[in-house]
Amino acid sequence: MEQYSILGRIGEGAHGIVFKAKHLETGETVALKKVALRRLEDGIPNQAVREIKALQEIEDNQHVVKLKDVFPHGTGFVLVFDFMLSDLSEVIRNSEQPLTPAQVKGYMLMLLKGVAFLHQNNVMHRDLKPANLLISSSGHLKIADFGLARLFSEQGERLYSHQVATRWYRAPELLYGARKYDEGVDLWAVGCVFGELLNSSPLFPGENDIEQLCCVLRVLGTPTRDSWPEIVELPDYNKITFKENPAIPLEEIVPDTSPQALDLLYKFLVYPSKQRCSARQALLHPYFFSSPLPAHHSELPIPQRRGRPPRQRLQAPPTDFSVDLPLQKSVVDPVQLQGHASCL
Amino acid sequence: MFHNSSQRKYWIFKSEDEVEQMRFKANQTFRHKIFGSGKPGLSESIFLERHEEDVLFRHYERRLLDFCNAFKPVMPKSVVSTAIMFFRRFYLNNSIMEYHPRIIMLTCAYLACKVDEFNVSSSQFVGNLQHETPAGQERVLDQILEYELLLIQQLNFHLVVHSPYRPLEGLLIDLKTRYPTLDNPESLRKSADDFLTQAAMTDAGLLFPPSQIALTAILNSASRASLNMESYLTECLGLKEDKEALSKMYDSMRRMKTLVKKYEVPKPEEVNIYKQKLERIHAEVASSSSKRKRGYEEDGHVAKQPRLAEEDWTDEDLI
Repeated sequence: MEQYSILGRIGEGAHGIVFKAKHLETGETVALKKVALRRLEDGIPNQAVREIKALQEIEDNQHVVKLKDVFPHGTGFVLVFDFMLSDLSEVIRNSEQPLTPAQVKGYMLMLLKGVAFLHQNNVMHRDLKPANLLISSSGHLKIADFGLARLFSEQGERLYSHQVATRWYRAPELLYGARKYDEGVDLWAVGCVFGELLNSSPLFPGENDIEQLCCVLRVLGTPTRDSWPEIVELPDYNKITFKENPAIPLEEIVPDTSPQALDLLYKFLVYPSKQRCSARQALLHPYFFSSPLPAHHSELPIPQRRGRPPRQRLQAPPTDFSVDLPLQKSVVDPVQLQGHASCL
Repeated sequence: MFHNSSQRKYWIFKSEDEVEQMRFKANQTFRHKIFGSGKPGLSESIFLERHEEDVLFRHYERRLLDFCNAFKPVMPKSVVSTAIMFFRRFYLNNSIMEYHPRIIMLTCAYLACKVDEFNVSSSQFVGNLQHETPAGQERVLDQILEYELLLIQQLNFHLVVHSPYRPLEGLLIDLKTRYPTLDNPESLRKSADDFLTQAAMTDAGLLFPPSQIALTAILNSASRASLNMESYLTECLGLKEDKEALSKMYDSMRRMKTLVKKYEVPKPEEVNIYKQKLERIHAEVASSSSKRKRGYEEDGHVAKQPRLAEEDWTDEDLI
């Protein structure tokens, strides 16, 4: 801990407070996530174990937040991450005008690269949402918060919890209580984030689990055995029935969107998980190769953290020394220096 | 993937000697620490020699295996092998004289359950200690939670352990699809599984990648059934052209078989003698060796006591 000086508090995560700090040796700004073991009944929380596990085993990737170090501290331990200025939910909320199609494309490109990398490394994130997609000071998007991440295997006999993912981004099979699922849950979430970027508001903002399912069904249409054969095997399938309704074309849900963007969105928002477009495949979609091309990370907005006045990025800060000011105003009065000069 | 795992990077060692050196060093460090503390009336003879430590280590490792095998609900193999690997990794850099294997072994199993997503509650976990009273179970749980942090630190926060069971499945599938020379690959499973169980109680997992251990298990199983599978290595695994890799592989297999063959079940009479010694050491030096432990056993609440020096950061500290 002596290696860091705390600069401020960033926020409160699921298992502890996150601080902004400076690594004294390198001068790097980092985020310290403190995992306290105060609640002692079960010891080290599962979420922390999962996060360490997932992040220890994958190599560096530009679009996945890097776990720089873990060390013990007091009655718990501290995870050290790259410091990130903001996250995508703030970008969506705070941008004064809607994101341009090129900017949306830029974010999707980075998101999919990160997701493709995770899936290739057998990591299911299970909680992708704008608030977990951090934005660096250079405009890069990095996937964070691996508190729900699981290493998946093809063996398939293990059951998973369906109480994962934040409701708005939860895949329909999870809403129906599925205990066996795959990385498709991440791809559904990618689709939801995509829609949210296009619309500047969440695609399926359900108020509770039942309403969440209604939101999804309203848009995709009531699932049938034809459109979703696996549905009959899902635990909660028989527990709830909805009035049948046809699908609403996505162009009505995300208006003013290019046909290619719609085509890609359709590929994520499908009921059968196996039919969702993999992240790797999505990266080859014509959407990313047509005009306007994805925005470069330097062309993306970087809002400040909440609670601080936004710094204007393009305007130079006021200085004591300016070419427009009379020279005299820029010169320090020698009298002010005297006190300091004496110690030289 | 094993390729970019922490296991490959940090927990596979060059040789049997290197591993033994580490344990020797842990033993020495503990002795120096106790002598350094200047406790009067201690003689060298109180300490366990390396070979004595080793007997006890193997004894507690078997108890760990028994505990896991008797666990209800049934513990998946991957959890068991993770627990055993944690136990082995922990005592590479720590002497059993410093941390009692009785509690470390349970802590390893407890952490392994979390790491491998075998979800059991803490009370369910200690409920498996059937010879303990509920109060005793509660006490053990307190100890497990007290040592969990130490364990995870000593493991360097490297939690994912790759076991040879998955590569074994992979090799069996490969044999079925690409090696028609062999009639019934499934017939190799039983004896290969046994080999893996035995290998888990040796340093094989600290010296070789899991896939090689699995391959050795298969080939060993084949040779016991008088089947020659050399062509699988040369043809199917493409080692024909690469003489160096092939001879290295043979060398590794020979070393693994030696490890398994050399394994001795600890003799009960030896275990009893060394156990008494171990208990004496823990009683003698408890006061000077480990405050953490002592404080814990006295009041059971050490983790909840405020520790000024390392107390949580509060917001006030930041402004």
